[in-house]
Amino acid sequence: MTRYKRQDPEITRRKFINVAMGTTAAVGGVSLLSTLGAANPIFRLTANKMPPQAGDILVHAQESKEGQPIRIADLGTQLVRAWPQGKDENGEPVIRKGDPNNILALYRFPKGQIVAPTNLDATIDGETVAYSDICTHAGCSVGDSDINAGEMKCPCHSGQYDPKRGCIVVGGPPPRALAQLPIKLEGDNLVVTGFFLTYPYPYATEAEWESIKKEVEAART
Amino acid sequence: MNQWLDERLHISRLNDKFLRKAFPVHHSFFLGEITLFSLIILILTGILLALSYEPSNSLVVNSFDPGSADKPNLIPAAYHSALKINAMPFGDMLRRIHHWTANIMVAAAVIHMMRVYFTGAFKKPREINWWVGMLLLIFTAFTAVTGYALPYDNYAYNTLKVIYSIAASLPWVGEWVSQAAFAGKFPGDGLIPRVYGYHIMLLPGILLALTAAHMLIMIKQKHTQPQYAKRIAYKKIVGVPLMTQQTPIMLALTLVFAGIIVLFSAFIPVHPVEFFGPPSTTPINNIKPDWYLLWVFGVLAIIPSFEIEILGGVINSEFVGAIVVPTLAILAMFAVPMLDRSRDNLYYAENPTNYPVRLGAGVAFMALLIVWSVAGYKPELISAGILSNTNANAVLWIATFLIPALSYFAVQAIVRGIRSLRESDARDRAAFQAADD
Ligand code: FES
Repeated sequence: MTRYKRQDPEITRRKFINVAMGTTAAVGGVSLLSTLGAANPIFRLTANKMPPQAGDILVHAQESKEGQPIRIADLGTQLVRAWPQGKDENGEPVIRKGDPNNILALYRFPKGQIVAPTNLDATIDGETVAYSDICTHAGCSVGDSDINAGEMKCPCHSGQYDPKRGCIVVGGPPPRALAQLPIKLEGDNLVVTGFFLTYPYPYATEAEWESIKKEVEAART
Repeated sequence: MNQWLDERLHISRLNDKFLRKAFPVHHSFFLGEITLFSLIILILTGILLALSYEPSNSLVVNSFDPGSADKPNLIPAAYHSALKINAMPFGDMLRRIHHWTANIMVAAAVIHMMRVYFTGAFKKPREINWWVGMLLLIFTAFTAVTGYALPYDNYAYNTLKVIYSIAASLPWVGEWVSQAAFAGKFPGDGLIPRVYGYHIMLLPGILLALTAAHMLIMIKQKHTQPQYAKRIAYKKIVGVPLMTQQTPIMLALTLVFAGIIVLFSAFIPVHPVEFFGPPSTTPINNIKPDWYLLWVFGVLAIIPSFEIEILGGVINSEFVGAIVVPTLAILAMFAVPMLDRSRDNLYYAENPTNYPVRLGAGVAFMALLIVWSVAGYKPELISAGILSNTNANAVLWIATFLIPALSYFAVQAIVRGIRSLRESDARDRAAFQAADD
């Protein structure tokens, strides 16, 4: 078939117009696409949006008691939600709830019940332990399980975690355990001693988490 | 006056072309119309709602419960305006009508598609309209979901959060996509204005444009004719013209339909924002998406957890469950007209039992979606003791394969039964006629 095709040495007018129109459309389309960049606003890491970090104290997140420092006696085998409270640029206390992913889950189990892979050094006396309360699956807040006592259940797609074993996933779709937050007792206050031990939601990779940690460190000094 | 108008607007041409379009007389052909009426009611009630709604998630003092001067009760403005809408005369009713109609629109669209699928009305030359219809379905779902977010109560907040993170679960580009789509890190200050823009401008615009295309193509190609038309007048179009016969039928249908929706709305509340309260960190137990997205939710509930890192991109169970699986299902539906190899234009709606494979495949597909939707109730099934924590996933996965397969074969058996009955009927009739002569 192609053998008989007329070989036209000159480009025809039709071809020229088609190519010209195609190019214009492509260039125009791409330049319009660039306006999409405006859809994504810039992000500023302010004190209330930073992740919990060394020196923060833990305060109640429950509405009626919000902002009151948590005491060891408030805790038990039922989940207690907490916010980290740090200091802003002027040294005023600020609850870091600008990022709702900072919500924490606190438990206190009788001695000996908390076992590996929980990092026992990061707990208070091997009894009181703090985790990120944000499901690693799609970011819902995780609650106590109504199915298996002593476990946690995410209401969104029924992910399940075991808070006595480092909050590993024991059911459902979450890809990773909830991140553990190292804490200690200082006077009556529960004090954070460092960053989450593993990367928490919403970070998708270790690298992202490392870079946000660096940003926080840089902002602090 | 008619002549005056005609000389300027060529009404008579319009009349010939559009207003005399023949509508087949069969109740199943009303499903598309119901979808269209729903869209109209949604736009009308939506405009009224938009007049009183405040699209902002910045915090304002709750005027119904201001708290104290040193500890004011702050709630998002959008949520506050939803409370105010509820407090105005018929405000709650308006919200309910809008909400109910949205559900009915999706339902009518789904049943309309089932009708088209089972009678083969997607075949040549109507493939394009099947695809336009698919787009309509998808964008309707998007519109519904963005509508859910607007009251910005705790339920909406959790829903948005899950949608945000589903978008973010795309490997490599997810973070950027979700931030661009929802105005920054969740929940950014621009979140509600952004979703509001989608819900009242972008998506309805797309829906209207697609609807217009859908109907123009339908008018151009004509409806498939119901079977009886073949007997009355072969290869002729049988039906009643839009003007004036079909119009009163449509009006009657609209009124009945609107009446039903208002009745529903009067007695069955939907989405009580006061009950869910403003956004908070307290999870809502047993939160579920609407029925038409329950199957995606179910897939997420039974998919095992995993996470693979490839070249810096993360592929996890969320991405597979919430994006890959639904995309495959939607692609399968898009592919429907391409599986048909007929060369001729289709005039007459086909009897589903004459196409057992198509019928079986359609039923199996629906069975699959139903199994997955049931899987969305996994926690309830476990709490009720029907399944246990250890066997739930296994049972639901087996059902995922077994039930569609069983329904396929059941359909084949039933079709064969119907056919043999029909054949013996024909034999009897032949024998009877022979005896008659
Ligand atoms: S968000 Fe927790 S299981 Fe999906």
